[in-house]
Amino acid sequence: MITAEWKPIEEMVGYLRGHKKVLVIGCATCVAECAAGGEREVETLAPLLAMAMQNDGNPVEVKSATLERQCEPEFVEAIAEAAAEADAIVSLACGIGMQLVAERFVDTPLYPGVNTTSLSLREEPGLWTSRCAACGDCVLGLTFGLCPVARCAKSLMNGPCGGTRTDGMCEINQDTPCIWRLIVERATARGRLEDLTQVRPPKNWSNSPAGGPKRMLREDLRS
Amino acid sequence: MANNSTAEFQPRITLLYCRQSLAPEVKPVQGSRTGQGFSVRLVLLPCSSKVQLPHLMRLLEQGSDGLQIAACPEKACQHLVGSTRAEKRLNRGRELLEQVGMGAERLGLERGAGLSLEDLMQMAGRRADAARALGPNPMKGV
Ligand code: SF4
Ligand code: SF4
Repeated sequence: MITAEWKPIEEMVGYLRGHKKVLVIGCATCVAECAAGGEREVETLAPLLAMAMQNDGNPVEVKSATLERQCEPEFVEAIAEAAAEADAIVSLACGIGMQLVAERFVDTPLYPGVNTTSLSLREEPGLWTSRCAACGDCVLGLTFGLCPVARCAKSLMNGPCGGTRTDGMCEINQDTPCIWRLIVERATARGRLEDLTQVRPPKNWSNSPAGGPKRMLREDLRS
Repeated sequence: MANNSTAEFQPRITLLYCRQSLAPEVKPVQGSRTGQGFSVRLVLLPCSSKVQLPHLMRLLEQGSDGLQIAACPEKACQHLVGSTRAEKRLNRGRELLEQVGMGAERLGLERGAGLSLEDLMQMAGRRADAARALGPNPMKGV
């Protein structure tokens, strides 16, 4: 899922100074799963923002809504009336959902209530960890199903780097396993360690975010 | 800020209590009561784990000066981890309240078993003391 985390409330207060009617919106999909922008978080943040703005000397009226999906135009229509009444929108959806809302209600300032951070897995309750960086040239078939782009601190294609801690954790973050150690372990368990010694052509990074804005076109699906 | 000086300020507390924390002979009560220097609204919960942040934040937005949760002792929760989870949520709520300038002490949790109505009133009174130190809820009358 796409994960996000709340911005500091102080930052949101800074955005909202001078506004009077604020609409806080969430999305019941990815950001609900990562407990940043679902209904529960929206209904927690809305009163908190009202209190924060009151204490800041800039009282605002805060309304709230949670959309089924903030990244689909049909669902965004559900807030058309509430958006027309608001003079600012705070969105707790990922950057994709936020931008669709900003496009639809172009005269109403939209402010991010979250930072969109990763494509992660909920590993345990309350813990999400990166699994993919949308690199555009997936190498999972070569790395035994473990992503070195998202899960190695240096995105090495030929690790480990040599800094792996003695307990197997990454030298950059002691709470994160060295993914290359796990790749080597899995290759060894399958009796395929030799595969990792093969020389491969360079990875195609031009299809990654570093290659510029992505435009995916499928003529067969267009009307 | 508010018209009430701290001396006159009679905090309005909401006390949410777990039904299981009461002594067996105590009949659960709901509604408003007046204590010494404060008033309290008693709200009965089937388990303290029912406490969710949106409810707590709305109560404060609506002008409660303080919220007190009465939960069972940690090992005595009928849902095993219900009151532990409630406490974790509450701690997050306290952090958020500090961030928005309301003061963490407007929200608290106490544990107890075999409680009487008098015990609940005392718990509410302790939250009222904490709220008194913070002054009236700035959202009052908004
Ligand atoms: S290799 Fe690229 S596409 Fe595949 S999981 Fe890793 S980041 Fe995602
Ligand atoms: S210790 Fe492992 S995960 Fe960390 S940077 Fe080195 S190779 Fe990557």
